[in-house]
Amino acid sequence: METTILPEVTALGVIIKAILILAIIAAIAGFGTFIERKILAFMQRRLGPMYVGPYGLLQLIADGIKLFTKEDIIPQHANKVIFAVAPAITAATAFIALAAVPVFPDFTIPFVDIYVPSIASDINVGILFVLGMMAAGLYGPLLAGMAQANKWGIIGSARTAIQFLSYEVVTGLSILAPIMMVGSLSFVDFNDYQTDGLWMVVYQPVAFVLFIIAGFAETNRTPFDLLEHEAEVISGYATEYSGLRWGMFFIGEYANMITIGVVASVVFLGGYNDFWIFPGWFMIVAKIAFSFFFMLWVRAAWPHVRPDQLMWLCWKVLMPLAVVNVIITGIVMMLV
Amino acid sequence: MSLEQFKNRNVGTQNYKKLDLSHSPSSGWGEFKQVVSRTFKPELFVGLWVTLREMGNALLGGKMHTTQYPFEKLPISPRYRAIHEMLRLMESGNYRCIGCGLCEKICISNCISMETRYDENQRKEVSKYTINFGRCIFCGYCAEVCPELAIVHGQRYETASEQRASFSLFEDMLTPIDKLNLQQEYQGFGAISPNADDNIKKTPLAY
Amino acid sequence: MSEVQTVENMVSITIDGIEYKAKEGEYILNAARANDVFIPAICYLTRCSPTLACRLCLVEADGKQVYACNAKVKEGMAITVDTPNILTERRAMMEVYDVNHPLQCGVCDQSGACELQNYTLELQVDSQSYSIADTKRETSNWSSVLHYDAGLCIVCERCTTVCKDMIGDSAITTVKRGGDALGKEWKDTMPKDAYAMWNKLQKSVIAPSNGTGLTNCSDCGECVAVCPVGALVSRDFVYSSNAWDLKKIPATCAHCSSGCQIYYETKPTSIEDRTEKIFRVTNEWNYVSLCGAGRFGYDFENATAIKDEVAFANAIEAFKQAKVIHFNSVITNEEALMLQTLKEKLGVKLINREASAFQRFLNAYSKASGNSLYTLDFKEVMKSDFVMSLGTSLRNDNPNARYAFNNVQKMNKGAGLYFHPVGDALVPTFGKSVEIFNHKAGLEEAALYLMLDLFSDKEQLSSEVKEQLDRDHLVTILGGNAKKFADAFDKMMKKKENFSLMVGEDLYFHENAENIAKLIALLESTSAVKVAMIPPKSNSLGVALICDLDYEAEGYTIGYNESGDFRLSALGDGDLDMPAMNQQEGTLTNMHKRVTPTNAAVEYHGYELNDVMKVLVSAPQETIDWTPYLPVAKGFKSISFDTLPNGYLNDGTENRGYLLETTITEVEAISVEKFDEGKALEGQIAYRCNPQRQFNDFSDKAHQIFEAFGLYVSPAKAETLGKTVVVEFDNGELTLDVIVDDRMEGDIVAVPDFKSAKNIYELFGELRYQTVTIREV
Repeated sequence: METTILPEVTALGVIIKAILILAIIAAIAGFGTFIERKILAFMQRRLGPMYVGPYGLLQLIADGIKLFTKEDIIPQHANKVIFAVAPAITAATAFIALAAVPVFPDFTIPFVDIYVPSIASDINVGILFVLGMMAAGLYGPLLAGMAQANKWGIIGSARTAIQFLSYEVVTGLSILAPIMMVGSLSFVDFNDYQTDGLWMVVYQPVAFVLFIIAGFAETNRTPFDLLEHEAEVISGYATEYSGLRWGMFFIGEYANMITIGVVASVVFLGGYNDFWIFPGWFMIVAKIAFSFFFMLWVRAAWPHVRPDQLMWLCWKVLMPLAVVNVIITGIVMMLV
Repeated sequence: MSLEQFKNRNVGTQNYKKLDLSHSPSSGWGEFKQVVSRTFKPELFVGLWVTLREMGNALLGGKMHTTQYPFEKLPISPRYRAIHEMLRLMESGNYRCIGCGLCEKICISNCISMETRYDENQRKEVSKYTINFGRCIFCGYCAEVCPELAIVHGQRYETASEQRASFSLFEDMLTPIDKLNLQQEYQGFGAISPNADDNIKKTPLAY
Repeated sequence: MSEVQTVENMVSITIDGIEYKAKEGEYILNAARANDVFIPAICYLTRCSPTLACRLCLVEADGKQVYACNAKVKEGMAITVDTPNILTERRAMMEVYDVNHPLQCGVCDQSGACELQNYTLELQVDSQSYSIADTKRETSNWSSVLHYDAGLCIVCERCTTVCKDMIGDSAITTVKRGGDALGKEWKDTMPKDAYAMWNKLQKSVIAPSNGTGLTNCSDCGECVAVCPVGALVSRDFVYSSNAWDLKKIPATCAHCSSGCQIYYETKPTSIEDRTEKIFRVTNEWNYVSLCGAGRFGYDFENATAIKDEVAFANAIEAFKQAKVIHFNSVITNEEALMLQTLKEKLGVKLINREASAFQRFLNAYSKASGNSLYTLDFKEVMKSDFVMSLGTSLRNDNPNARYAFNNVQKMNKGAGLYFHPVGDALVPTFGKSVEIFNHKAGLEEAALYLMLDLFSDKEQLSSEVKEQLDRDHLVTILGGNAKKFADAFDKMMKKKENFSLMVGEDLYFHENAENIAKLIALLESTSAVKVAMIPPKSNSLGVALICDLDYEAEGYTIGYNESGDFRLSALGDGDLDMPAMNQQEGTLTNMHKRVTPTNAAVEYHGYELNDVMKVLVSAPQETIDWTPYLPVAKGFKSISFDTLPNGYLNDGTENRGYLLETTITEVEAISVEKFDEGKALEGQIAYRCNPQRQFNDFSDKAHQIFEAFGLYVSPAKAETLGKTVVVEFDNGELTLDVIVDDRMEGDIVAVPDFKSAKNIYELFGELRYQTVTIREV
């Protein structure tokens, strides 16, 4: 394995990267809402948003304006500080997690010669950091639900606690096997591990499936969208939220979807390596886009499960499978 | 008819399909088998396939369902009861309304008013006619009772207007004389059945 | 029941196996109707002679087919309404009626209240077997009010029958239609009666009987009322409303003292104006006949009245300083009672010209006869077979008196004597046995002496009276031919049992009114003749009974619909508005001695007399709360207004209000004065008399009453007069247009009194005839 000498990472480059991540991911998250509505509409043979801009493209701007200009309501009996902070936790953790993830391939800004790395902060425990940040994101819905003095909010936050904590176990265990194989917690190492060989998904299909399932749960997507399931708990933890605060939950959710997409792409699907005639930057974008699409696709196709089924699935099916997978991986590594 | 007979009465051919639901597993082993079979059977992917296929049909096969309402409208049933129209005779262009007052009488929300007079041709003429759409419940009795099919229900179901008077006057409901050729024969309540001729006895005429 | 009424013998009959009681001599149809048994019939009218035009009332009586309208019941008669043969006939007749009948039921004015439609459905005619080419039949207007659509006419002849038998005008008749003759094949194949009916139907149509396109009649509109289809309609009503839209308000007509039961039929005026408007007046035409004023003079309401508080305060002030209240008889009993209360509490004097004369006459009669009221009502007059009229212009004064006189001639094979100074071309046409005496004005006593001579039991008369009874002389001075009359009278008296005398206003406004009243009482007590009086104006009888009227009065005067210093008026032109008769509730006392209720048909927004009463003296909440307090001593009953019925029963029994109680007291022998032949008026005489359809300011206000205020003269007299003349009375003069009344005869001219503003009573004083000078302008 040839080692590439990378240019030095400067503070300016990291700042530019951070700004890029914030701006682009936030924009993509907003655009994601448009894409989601369009995809869901197409799958139901509808048109989706059509009237704001060509093919409704400017709908997200209209929605943004609406969210920004809506009245900010804080319920009378809510814990106002926590109520106000909770959405920020969700959004912040989602973006912080992205700091340790290779989002785009690295490049040098011409003329000024500033190197912008693919990872804002290439800490050598990147995976641990991402998983940890996503776990910390649980505090957003949890505190929001508890602070708003609303029974649906309480139920929503209770569901948050059980769902996020449970699936944290599955995420960690499922990704443990690839970590054992690569022997590093750095995303760059994962990417490099797959540069010449096969994708990790070929070695670890079970871990991949478990990770994807757990990812759905972590991002609160159908079929595990129990936190704010409209038919059961109005809007769960977000019941009392409106306007910009509600929008921050939304952006956090979509940022998390992208994070999961990035992690899945880097860890299991070959990262940003070139593939056949396609350059690496294209491959990573394509893989993230597909995983995003997959989440929408699943939402259009499948019903959601009951909380008890969710728990049952986690503790009785997924976690044992993950443990078995780790053990088998270990045995295989010992023997080979 | 007893209750039992009533329940079992013949209400036509029944084409209900019964779902073949399997029983829930009772043992732990059975449950495990169910989980395994559900996990590895491609049932889950059928759902994914169906949605993807429909997206393909919609985008590529031109099977989009959406009607872009204010610009496109779906045709409505001729039996739909929307804002009334007053029809004219196709041949002469005169109104069909003869001023018999049956619509006024039958109107259960009492919203039709008319005034009639003896005109210069020794005929009964409707001098004024209004429907108060603030009261009208669109029951269709007026169209049903009209012996001349003069008052009928039209297809104009968007009943928002700046003022109710916009559609309450005779002239507004009347087919414009220049659009007489576009006037459609009414098919809804009170219209003549296609086999009407078979149901009446002919009256002899001496000439 | 008054004891005057003859008790009819009841017989028992069976109809379809069920036993019923019926009056002897009654037609089967009427007996069935009285017992709620249905026999189909179109052309028959209860109080008229059978027409036998429709033939639908065919029934089987004792095994023989008879027409129920024409066959009288007999003891034990067994009647079958439907036999297979009769059903075949009836069905054929209905089919024939439907031949060529225009299918314009949707626009027809009968709007479902159609007997042709009803019977077609009743007899289940669902197909037509007969046909013939139609004839073009034109729509025409017969008069200012009558509209005839010949196309719709089924020639049932109800209109001609009622016009002849009830109204007496005989203004319309059947004429040839000019239709195709029926084909021979029908005669052989059709049921017999249906063929005969069709044959007649196909040939005839109705037209004015004088040969012109216009009727010469009193425009009573009774033909419109009886028309079973939409052929006859009033011109004003044509295509203006459906019958089902009209709300029927039972009321009493207040134009004259007949007090006929009417229905005001109202609905909202127009789409914009939702206040109720009277569209027409209808009546129970089987039991009561209206005149032109009653049927067409309905829109006299005081429409503009509002609660004008200033005017009301002025009215209260006026009442406080009033010495006299001048009113007429177009008021309710309740209002009369209020005025009487004012007289008792405030001491005002009550002036009512026509009622005071009537009151004086009635009192004189009561004193002489012992009867608190006259003995006959006009329903009983109609049942008599010898009817006399004295002191009333039969054609003009009271339609019901005229209808009764005519009906007696037509229905009862009756005879009649008509005493009146003004010649009349109509009365002789009522019947062959009618003798006319156009006597000189002032000789009414002579007429009564003649009646005494003709009908009294001479044993009971005093010698002074007997001295006067020189029949030939009396006939001669009354303008008759003694010899001819003697012959005629013998014929007239054949098979006569019930004698009635109608007396009118001429006698109340007579110099010797009291003596006349005594003579009438004497006639009644010594002969079989019973007397009915015609109160001069609408509620004169009620006013005469309720109010204590004054004859002379001076001082500040309140006029109620009359002239005065402060005017209360229902005509909309007074100082304070009052409700007109179609705007208020109350009771009226009519000439049938019946107290009948009337109801408000049109909204009224102003003050009522009762509001004035509430301020001046204590008064109940509503006008009708006075009803139970009408004077019981005078024959009224203490019955509250809301319990008074207003309708007719199936057998024609009048179920309206209540009859006044008549009390009878013992009296001494009646002494009468001789009559003075020399008192007959000479020279040009003016007669205070209204045209046929005018009674008061209210009838004048109605838009369908066209008779103008003018000098009514006979055609011959008109030739001697110009277009406009001045009529000079002793105490004033009038300038009037000359109007020709075709049916008047002789030299006497008639001056109407229906306009109260003209103060005609002042000119005539206490008399109805005055010598005047007429000069051209």
